[in-house]
Amino acid sequence: MPVKAEDAPRVVRVNVTNQAWDFTRPWGKRAPFTRRAVGAILPGKRVLVSAELVGNATYLELESGEGANRTPASIVAVDYDSNLALLKGDDDEFLTSFKPLELTEAKVGDTLAIWQLETTGVVLATQGPMTTAEVARYPTDESSLLVYRATAALQFRDSSFNLPVLKDGKLVGLVVRYDNASNGAEIVPTPVIEHFLKDAAQQPYEGFPRTGMVFSNTRDPQLRRFVGLDAKQSGGVYVTDLLKNSPAEKAGIKPGDVILSIDGNAVDQDGNYVDPTYGKLSLIHLVSTRHFDGDTLKMKVFRKGETREVEVKIAYRDVGSYVIEPYVIDRPPKFFILGGLVLQELSRQYLKEFGRDWEKRAPPELVYLDRYQSDLFKKDERGKIVILGRVLPMPSTLGYEELRHLVVTKINGFALLSLNDVPSALAQAENGLHKVEFDTDPRIIYLDAGAISAEESALVRNYRLPATQRLSE
Amino acid sequence: MSHRFPLLLLALALFTSELQAQPLEIRKSLARITNTTQEPNYRIPWLPGATGGGGGTGWVVSKDRLMTNAHVVSNARFLTVEKENDPKKYIATVDHIAHDCDLALLKVDDPSFFKNTKPLAIGGIPELESTVSVFGYPIGGERLSVTQGIVSRVDFRTYSHSIVDSHLSIQIDAAINPGNSGGPVLQNGKVVGVAFQGYTGDVAQNVGYMIPTPVIRHFLKDIEDGHYDRYMDLSLGTFPLLNPAQRKALALPDDDRGVMVSSVLSAGSAAGVVEVGDVILSIDGLPVASDGMVELEGERVQMAEVAERKFRRDAVRLEILRAGHRKTVQVKFDRAFPYTMQANAYEQQPTFILFGGLLFQPLSRNLAAAYQFQNLRTDYYFDFFITRELYDEHPEVIVLSSVLPDALNTYLTDFREGIVESINGTKIRTLKEMAAELAKTPEFYVIEFVGANRPLVLERKAVEAARERIRKRYNVVEDQNLGEPAVADAAGQ
Repeated sequence: MPVKAEDAPRVVRVNVTNQAWDFTRPWGKRAPFTRRAVGAILPGKRVLVSAELVGNATYLELESGEGANRTPASIVAVDYDSNLALLKGDDDEFLTSFKPLELTEAKVGDTLAIWQLETTGVVLATQGPMTTAEVARYPTDESSLLVYRATAALQFRDSSFNLPVLKDGKLVGLVVRYDNASNGAEIVPTPVIEHFLKDAAQQPYEGFPRTGMVFSNTRDPQLRRFVGLDAKQSGGVYVTDLLKNSPAEKAGIKPGDVILSIDGNAVDQDGNYVDPTYGKLSLIHLVSTRHFDGDTLKMKVFRKGETREVEVKIAYRDVGSYVIEPYVIDRPPKFFILGGLVLQELSRQYLKEFGRDWEKRAPPELVYLDRYQSDLFKKDERGKIVILGRVLPMPSTLGYEELRHLVVTKINGFALLSLNDVPSALAQAENGLHKVEFDTDPRIIYLDAGAISAEESALVRNYRLPATQRLSE
Repeated sequence: MSHRFPLLLLALALFTSELQAQPLEIRKSLARITNTTQEPNYRIPWLPGATGGGGGTGWVVSKDRLMTNAHVVSNARFLTVEKENDPKKYIATVDHIAHDCDLALLKVDDPSFFKNTKPLAIGGIPELESTVSVFGYPIGGERLSVTQGIVSRVDFRTYSHSIVDSHLSIQIDAAINPGNSGGPVLQNGKVVGVAFQGYTGDVAQNVGYMIPTPVIRHFLKDIEDGHYDRYMDLSLGTFPLLNPAQRKALALPDDDRGVMVSSVLSAGSAAGVVEVGDVILSIDGLPVASDGMVELEGERVQMAEVAERKFRRDAVRLEILRAGHRKTVQVKFDRAFPYTMQANAYEQQPTFILFGGLLFQPLSRNLAAAYQFQNLRTDYYFDFFITRELYDEHPEVIVLSSVLPDALNTYLTDFREGIVESINGTKIRTLKEMAAELAKTPEFYVIEFVGANRPLVLERKAVEAARERIRKRYNVVEDQNLGEPAVADAAGQ
């Protein structure tokens, strides 16, 4: 449907300059870069863009379509799991002449229009069919939520980092990924946006809730017979693991249980239920997007021949609850430089510094710890993993220059559960020496506490360090 | 001026006649080796594998033995040797083979082969920059070839045949090409090395390697008792003590001596004798410098070289400092390090269990090379098997390497590359234990894999019903080969 030029604009350019922290030199940031997107106007003079656009933002700006007017902007709410952010202009009048978009859902087969902006401010709408509605992985890799997929032959235009998608003049989502080869657009859809907006309307923002169950399909009839499921029964997912302190674990669900239904919705053998709007869809959408943090879900659980009803109070999972956090955005990395030893907390953000194929290039032992953290750290009371990233050579670190990417277990006999334990551990030096222990060779090294203090200003001067520690965020 | 001239001529005459004399002599000591090999296919482990061929050079080391490289005669099914000016092809067999230092000794069925042959004497380590000559039968022709070069470097290097062993290696700039392997390198009429490795033209130029005489002598001495026991290893990691605070903490004076033990492998010879944190001050009376080097026969070498010279049943005496107190301990070499999982394996038929169309094989370098596993955990278990002592829980890492599709297992393909943890509640540590568990007759076989996953469940009745049809469909000759454990060496017998 062609857009009339006289219509009040429903979209606005959003220009964001980001500057990420350098996790390999955690006292500083990397070079800034700017990206431009088209944001959707929402009621209340708000602008919807993707979270990826505004991660580590240092300067945000709204710009009218033809470029004549600009105003700085700020973030009202952001959720990296669902890849959404809500912005407002610092000048409240700026969006007065804009009209908000209404949200609506779309179904497979609908014709969607992806909006871009010409330099004149005129909307370029490219149409294409919506091919898919499914639950898929979102960019932080830790959550899966509903996506719409559409095929449309987009032309290259400026400000396309994310783009609004409309159907019959209403907003159905934001394009966050586009593949030139297949013309495939990946869209964060209305149900996810509505959940985000509703959640963001109240402080604090909570997020998309989960059960904490890891489950697998029950397609194999042998597995079904072994578990004792009736041959007449079909469906159900097999619980393989419960995350520590998760809602499902607290509710008493155990590995080996089969979940037959959630909130009255039967779960099939692949973990799908029948959604009133989208048909067969992963139960993740039912739990995470059709419900909110704190809701109680009734689940039918099969165990050893009996079916019981279990109530699970679902909750969102805070990124801080991970031993190795999947992302560290809008927060500076913690670090502590001990005489030249750069101590940090291991996070996937640190591993991603090794590039696009970081899973092959980052230190393999650390990649292994990150990938399998949910089963490796079950029994430990471990908070975070402290690592020695690298050494800034100084006289007191003579002989230790080559050490890097090592897990630090103790300092002065004090087990490190997080980087914040380091100062108290250092207070327990014996005979003026710090004993630093690793989980692999060289196992134990010593540092002269007095020499470290004496050299501190030389260290700072030599390496031009703005600080030698950052323990809070 | 004029009286120097005849001297020069004489020297030249002597030189040329010696050059001419050498090739004639050397022909009495060389052999061309042809190997018909059969290499197993780890993807179809019930079949014997593809036959192939190769060749190299051998030389007479004693009145009735030829020496060559292990890689020339590995996986041999039929060996023949030929010598100069003799039309016959003689059948040979491997007498001893050392995969950890790429050397082998051959016997010849017909003792007349050795008539009119001349064993070569074994010399010492040639000086840097001195000239050496390489004799052999490389590509580029059919007859004896000689190339000459100088000694470029003497170093500890990885021997690519096993890929996990490092020994003294001499780099020379003489051309060493395919076919030269196993051939002698001479200086002043004596063997100073066995040609064995080179670099291709795109990587480096004029770089060839030979196995030096200490390694040759070590091999010959080891087999004196009729059995090759392999190199002995301290199996401990050390860290140089260069940092003053470290030295102070360990109660060491500022005398540039001592290295700290940073790891002791539980399966190694030093386990129970040496501890992490011990400082090694001397080894067999030789002071250890703070960078880990010792002075051995006038040369500064790594501490590991002392162990290099030991044999099974030998021991080393370590003077250590433990918590400030001096002690002397003995590390006895009762066996070679038992876990060779990461080494290239030869002369071995792959061990496996085929059950319900599921192929289970113990992880090894050969297996990983055949399948190119994608799974991060499987890769980790291979790479860190020794350094993280994964062999404690999994002396054999049993991997579901492939699935032969059948109605029985059609829902089980996502278990591929998984590592078996237990069957019906019993922890599985080796293939033999797995076979024993699968020989039982429960209603269900419940196989748990390492990491969180649903169990792999097979109904016994279905497995039995499927056995014949899977065999027929995939031309399976045998359901399992439990062989000799690829992991732990039989204790030296």
